[in-house]
Amino acid sequence: MSVFAKLMQNYPFFVSEVLFCIGIYTTLSQTSLMKKIIGINIIGNSIFLLLIAAGNIREGIAPIMHSGDHLPQEIVYVNPLPAALVLTGIVVSLSVTAFALSIVVRLYDYYGTIESNEILEIRSWE
Amino acid sequence: MFSFVVAHPPALVVFVLMGAFIMPTISHFRRSLCGPASCVIMLVALMCSFHLARFAMAGNTIKYAAGGWLPPWGIEVVINSFSAFILLIISFICLLILFYSTASLQTEIAYNAIGWYYTIFLLLVASMMGMAITNDIFNMYVFIEVTGISACALVLAKNTKMATDAAFKYLLLATVGSGFVLFGISLMYMITGNLNIDYVAMEFRQVYTQYPFLIWTVLSFFLVGFGIKSALFPLHLWLPDAHSSAPTSSSAILSGLVVKAYIVALLKFYYIIFGFELLDAIFIRHLILIMAASAMLFGSMFAFAQLDIKRRLAYSSVAQIGYVFLGIGLGSPLGMAAGIIHIFNHAVMKACLFMAAGAIYYQTGNKQVNKLQGLGYEMPITLGAFSIAALSMVGLPLFSGFISKWYLAQGSIEAGMPLFVGLIILSGLLNASYFLPIIWQAFFDVDQHKPKTFTLDAIPFPMAATLVVLALTIIYFGLNPEFPLTLAQQAVMIFLP
Repeated sequence: MSVFAKLMQNYPFFVSEVLFCIGIYTTLSQTSLMKKIIGINIIGNSIFLLLIAAGNIREGIAPIMHSGDHLPQEIVYVNPLPAALVLTGIVVSLSVTAFALSIVVRLYDYYGTIESNEILEIRSWE
Repeated sequence: MFSFVVAHPPALVVFVLMGAFIMPTISHFRRSLCGPASCVIMLVALMCSFHLARFAMAGNTIKYAAGGWLPPWGIEVVINSFSAFILLIISFICLLILFYSTASLQTEIAYNAIGWYYTIFLLLVASMMGMAITNDIFNMYVFIEVTGISACALVLAKNTKMATDAAFKYLLLATVGSGFVLFGISLMYMITGNLNIDYVAMEFRQVYTQYPFLIWTVLSFFLVGFGIKSALFPLHLWLPDAHSSAPTSSSAILSGLVVKAYIVALLKFYYIIFGFELLDAIFIRHLILIMAASAMLFGSMFAFAQLDIKRRLAYSSVAQIGYVFLGIGLGSPLGMAAGIIHIFNHAVMKACLFMAAGAIYYQTGNKQVNKLQGLGYEMPITLGAFSIAALSMVGLPLFSGFISKWYLAQGSIEAGMPLFVGLIILSGLLNASYFLPIIWQAFFDVDQHKPKTFTLDAIPFPMAATLVVLALTIIYFGLNPEFPLTLAQQAVMIFLP
């Protein structure tokens, strides 16, 4: 199997790695603090995509069993653990975002701008 | 109480966490009671962790399945000599810092923020304790995030322009760091299909030859992620701003404990899952050694150039983190024991130095290192404690800093890298170059016309008492290092079987 065909088959992993790089680049290179916060959200989402893709099976179904059911052999179940991990991760990412946004509000009160290079300039005058 | 803690070790973390959320209620009724109440909570935690440390020192290991779910599925908590030692360090240093903060806090942060400050402080302590005892990699990630957020909030508590800016920088870089760590954890989960560290390690031994590139990625992601969070040299950019602009008690805990907590997590990941042979074979150990060596040199050089006392101490932390990483990178039994024991020694010394700087600012309002002439006669307790901690930092015998340097030097000879002995001596000299001028100024650069009489410091009792206790601790463990040394050597047995 060629590299390209492998890539096409496992494209969620590839997309998540590209998103991770985009997130890191956005966080470190953008001057606007809002864009930096968007960057850390992209990083988080790329990792969640990776985890979900790792637990997923094509044509698998949700692992819900009923007590009376007769279990047919050909059904495959999706791993539920990564979904639980991602749920925890989303909560953490949400609280970090809320905290960062509240700091940005405070910085806007102090400096009157949310561009990090302008904040640096104002700090160098003082 | 003790038998309950031995039977259910996570109760310690839950207890501190409950204390954190009781603080706003206490502050609603009596705000001045928050500080003493949190001191009592930490005192109980200290007694419990001392008992656990004695229990672990006798050769016992507690493995506790949280919620009754057994290890491959549930979260497991492990108390061995290593985690008990870290618990003991955290609760001892935090008790002293909290006692100090009862006097210093109202001058530094807004009056109505005091209750919430203690909430966040105890939250930070609880999450660091959780990081020390958990044996589950995803649970570790959750504690890492809680530690990161509450550490930022402790910096932010001062509510000045500088502190807000520093806290944002810290939060941003810490989040990037934990992004790297979570990526590494997800890749580990993909490789092994387990989350419990012991099971991950077992599975990893069987399959690691199939994933050569993924293992490179995982190891380097862990190094970058934890390196950012624990301020390893080229990744330390957030540290000086955050540690120097925070309130005194926050600086002490951030510099003394928080950066070390991430090193504890890194040690667990690297040495229990991957093992020394793998780290050695793919040269990640040599990368750690290079970064640690440059931290020891450049951290001290940057510190030399700073005029603000707290900034100088913050850069000195960068250098001291290098010592701990040097011990980890050496990988020889004595070297690693020295790295682990330096976690304790540096926490005591740096807490003492930051609190002495806070006391100097409290009495004189002075932040500069070159305006301390003759202050030793006005504040003998503060400057005495400062001198003891500074001399210990330089590594003079009789002080506890000497113990960690001595064993680090022995460890580097044991590991076959005698070059590092010279580096340790050089770094000690650099430490002397920026600490001794302060001591010399304070005690010997005196105005000839002023009378040379000692007057007692005009600082509140909790501040003075904390400084004296920390200074005595430095001298005591410099003379009798058996207790931490035994625990550290037992801890090394876990990592280097």
